[in-house]
Amino acid sequence: MWLVFQKEIKELLRDRKTLFFMVALPLLLFPLIFGGVAYFSGKAIEKAQSRVLTYAIIGGEYAPTLSAKITAQDGLKRYVTKVQSDNVSAITNLVKSEKVDFVLVIPNTFNDDILKIGQNKLTLYLNDAGLNMVQRRLNKIIDNLAESNRDKAFISLGIAEEIQQGLLEPIVIDKISTADKREDLGEKIGGLIPYMIFILCLQGAMLPATDIGAGEKERGTLETLLISPISRNQLVLGKFFTIAFAGVTSAMVTVGSLFVWGVLLSQGMAIELITEFMGAISALDFVLMFAMLIPVVAIFSAVLLSMSIYAKSFKEAQGYMTPLVFIVIIPIILAMLPGIKLEGIYAWVPLMNVALAIKELIKGTMDYMALIPIFLSTTAIAGLLLTFCIYWFNREKVLFR
Amino acid sequence: MIEIKQLAKKFKVENPKKLSEQEKKDPRLKGRFFHSVQNVNFICDTGQVLGLLGPNGAGKTTTLRMLSSALKPDSGSILIDGVDVLANPIVARQKIGFLSGSTGLYGRLSGRENIEYFGKLHGMSKSAIQQKIEELAQLLDLYSFLDRRCENYSTGMKQRVSIARAVVHSPKVVVLDEPTTGLDIMATQTVLEFIRTLKKQQVPVIFSTHHLDEVNELCDTVTVIDEGKTKYNGDLHSFRALSNGSLHNSFMTSIEKG
Repeated sequence: MWLVFQKEIKELLRDRKTLFFMVALPLLLFPLIFGGVAYFSGKAIEKAQSRVLTYAIIGGEYAPTLSAKITAQDGLKRYVTKVQSDNVSAITNLVKSEKVDFVLVIPNTFNDDILKIGQNKLTLYLNDAGLNMVQRRLNKIIDNLAESNRDKAFISLGIAEEIQQGLLEPIVIDKISTADKREDLGEKIGGLIPYMIFILCLQGAMLPATDIGAGEKERGTLETLLISPISRNQLVLGKFFTIAFAGVTSAMVTVGSLFVWGVLLSQGMAIELITEFMGAISALDFVLMFAMLIPVVAIFSAVLLSMSIYAKSFKEAQGYMTPLVFIVIIPIILAMLPGIKLEGIYAWVPLMNVALAIKELIKGTMDYMALIPIFLSTTAIAGLLLTFCIYWFNREKVLFR
Repeated sequence: MIEIKQLAKKFKVENPKKLSEQEKKDPRLKGRFFHSVQNVNFICDTGQVLGLLGPNGAGKTTTLRMLSSALKPDSGSILIDGVDVLANPIVARQKIGFLSGSTGLYGRLSGRENIEYFGKLHGMSKSAIQQKIEELAQLLDLYSFLDRRCENYSTGMKQRVSIARAVVHSPKVVVLDEPTTGLDIMATQTVLEFIRTLKKQQVPVIFSTHHLDEVNELCDTVTVIDEGKTKYNGDLHSFRALSNGSLHNSFMTSIEKG
């Protein structure tokens, strides 16, 4: 059996195409995706923040302090217009024709003394679809003025500082979550991780599986192998372990690269978050996750090998395997639905129970008793499928189609 | 010595609509089953070369696959040096070297690795494999390409490595299923040369072919099968005597007579 395994692995390692998809792609793809998204979104935000905005103020003479502050602000360019504040369509046109980025309309009632006027209402015209930082940049200036006006009013009313706080926010709620950071983050990303690992395992196992079964048939090496003095069980197991090994390796490489690049690229804050998060998951949990993956990979490998050996050619094998991805996705998607927990019947549904358990382990809320139905059901199904695979390999109808 | 008696094998017809016109007319199609091989008998003695002749679809490949234990016969017996292939398939497999015209090699392994792999599957020790490869490399002139990947080999190179792979375990009998089909003249010559060598070493060879000149050149005995039944068994001399002169006529006569 190891003889077959060794040879298959050797052949696999020499297959550049398969290796590329299994190793190089995840290693390169993730930094590209991550880096690319981070780079371009960062660029876009930076550009929006530093871009010089053209603006018009209508009724600036009513609020000289505010007008002066806006004029003094860097990155803003004034556009002089004679449009009146009641001519809404003309104002809108200014923005639409892209002559200005925004128009600020100040009413003639504007007054810096709150105690005299009450609330001042300004109107801002802008194109709010698409990324813009207009309001944020404008708020910086206006908030500043609003606060100082407020403070002046408080002082003239003679209100003590503690009371000021109370007037502004009469009741404050202090929220303390009993879920720690790990549980919170685990709930958010815990569903995605099994999804990713399952699909990667399946994808990684698929290419070698095609090669090992249908490929041998297509190249005419199967017949010779069948009449060599090795029992069918050994032959099946050798091939089975190769596929399983390839699946696990590919998933590990991808997850590993995801992790490493994620840490490398998300600097500063995020790095603390990730290390803290990873640190909270114990080594035992990692071992358990890996242990649960073994029967899952065994299920995948047995199914893939059965399909592959039945197929007459690579093409046929790929045709059988593609729908498998969709079938595998179903229990994982179900496991991601809110309200579905690792309890009762769900603990017995293969794939779904492992997906749920991985999520629980990441969240740190695992009920370890659930491991019993998980291992029982997945191992039983993996065993059944492997037995079927061996039976399948003994069928003349399958081998000499 | 190889002895085949009353061999029979039927296949279930999954979808009768898919059968070709010729297969539908074949008398071997009975209900849901296609009786590919019905009654095949022959004996091949030590040092003899047996030519297995028959039209396409006569059951030659099925017979040879049963002989090599890849397929299981429904009835009949196969004895190789007294070992019952049906009862001890694994033991019997160690005694057989099998090669067909469509046999492939693992393209990403070198010729040497291909041969080694099968040597190991046959339970040979490393040193024994090395020694045998040396011997075969000399015999089949493999040295110039033995350590290159098989995917770049020419047809002739592939066939020579395939031969070496088939006999790495020094089989007691060599079975060749149309070994020259699809090969060029040079590669064919290599195969024929190799059969001669086996004959010299007293290893019995059973090979199926459509080329009667190969039969004329190499065979001691001839077996003709048609529609899954042995139509003729005998030495080359009496086969030739079936009609005056050409082996083609003898072949036609043997089928018509049977």
